[in-house]
Amino acid sequence: MDVLLENFSTVTFPQVAMWIIGAVLIFLAIKKEMEPSLLLPMGFGAILINLPNSGAQHIIDVMFRVGIDNEFGELMPLILFIGIGAMIDFTPLLTNPKLMLFGAAAQFGIFFTLCLASLLGFDIKDAASIGIIGAADGPTAIAVAMELGSKYIGAIMVAAYSYMALVPLVQPPIIKLCTTKKERLIRMDNTAGKAPSKLTKILFPIVVTIIVGLVAPDAVALIGFLMFGNLIRECGVLNSLSETAQKVLANLITIFLGITIAARMRAEEFLTVDTLIIIGLGLFAFIFDTFAGVMLAKFMNLFSKKKINPMIGAAGISAFPMSARVVHKLGLEEDNQNFLLMHSIGVNVSGQIASVIAGGLILTFFR
Amino acid sequence: MKITPQLLGIFTNIYGSYEAMTISRALMIALVGFMTVLVILAIIALFIKLIAFIFSAIEKKNEKKIETIITPVEHSNATAPSVGVTLPETESQGELELIGVDEPTAAMLMALVSYKTEIPLNRLAFRSIKLVEDE
Repeated sequence: MDVLLENFSTVTFPQVAMWIIGAVLIFLAIKKEMEPSLLLPMGFGAILINLPNSGAQHIIDVMFRVGIDNEFGELMPLILFIGIGAMIDFTPLLTNPKLMLFGAAAQFGIFFTLCLASLLGFDIKDAASIGIIGAADGPTAIAVAMELGSKYIGAIMVAAYSYMALVPLVQPPIIKLCTTKKERLIRMDNTAGKAPSKLTKILFPIVVTIIVGLVAPDAVALIGFLMFGNLIRECGVLNSLSETAQKVLANLITIFLGITIAARMRAEEFLTVDTLIIIGLGLFAFIFDTFAGVMLAKFMNLFSKKKINPMIGAAGISAFPMSARVVHKLGLEEDNQNFLLMHSIGVNVSGQIASVIAGGLILTFFR
Repeated sequence: MKITPQLLGIFTNIYGSYEAMTISRALMIALVGFMTVLVILAIIALFIKLIAFIFSAIEKKNEKKIETIITPVEHSNATAPSVGVTLPETESQGELELIGVDEPTAAMLMALVSYKTEIPLNRLAFRSIKLVEDE
């Protein structure tokens, strides 16, 4: 009987706090449907790993080493990129390549947060890992934080995925603050441009990989896997592989990643002031991503004959497709005939590419 | 040409050692990193524009070829528009013989041919449409 009761006496307050955090993540996933595929496994994993003398601790540690922290690199996040690449249709972007610039602008939060974190006293590699929360891209955040050996991987993951889920709450007030009503009412031409040819769609992933590889060699793994997935999708002769990558592969890795991240959510590592600061800095990154995207659109309007609705700049963060939907919805709120989805989706997919490039650049700079 | 190591050299000079940063150095990092992403994406955007330009040039060339091939048919056929009269792309004129085919079906077939060949209806000439029964 003593053996059975022994565990109760070893429960600590921080462990209970982590159970509560896990329960909150599960609540957000189920009740609010915020990134359920990741927040739910992470929440459950947080409980699992923080049970006293948990028999799951060892196996989750092993899973972490096999999938994320091994001698071959960040295996699982990279494989997930194949699935993500297979899911993305770059047609809106290929139809209007100018949208690329908004994706780049919306990475500003990453670099600004990196500086701020460094100035707050974080080690430069940790600061870079914290900044990458602004990529709004879970696998990139994991890959960069692990590659740089950040000890805050748990907090970074929770912040990254939570804010991705909270995009509909975080972005609208910032967009409204940065734009006037008149700007939000700008209507954009919705007539579909000339559709890109199949050959263009096939060449795109190959050339992007080469260009990025030449400038930022450390980004090749990230961008290469993303573009490989897209090539499978667009080549037209590997439909079954494309479907497998989009559904089965992506789902399997997502389950694996979610529960495995819990290995870095132990109470003694997670419940620190640093975690709170990181979560705060993550919010800061998202705010400045949104701000920079909107500001670039406003800047381009100074020189452009065809006015751009500055709200689409906010869709340049990588949270796909939530950010594009948020912008579209805001457009409709202002004018129920203002359909911005086509443009915001184009900006959003460019954000996917931009965030991966930014992640790779950070690796190039700081590894 | 070892462009990449040179670029990295520039970055290393800017970033210097990984010690605590001053505000000016921090801002420099933000600026250089951000501008690099912007430049890479601008290059990719230019590449897309270039590809689109090349393809549209090839397409125009092909269109001209098709035009020269079908022009004799247009002039020799009764359904072709009169010389000098430009019809809207979705319209045509002249007479068409329908054999065992009703008008809506014929219209649908002509629209399909136009769509598949990517030749506007005002440039196509149909002499007759005949129902062929399976034996």
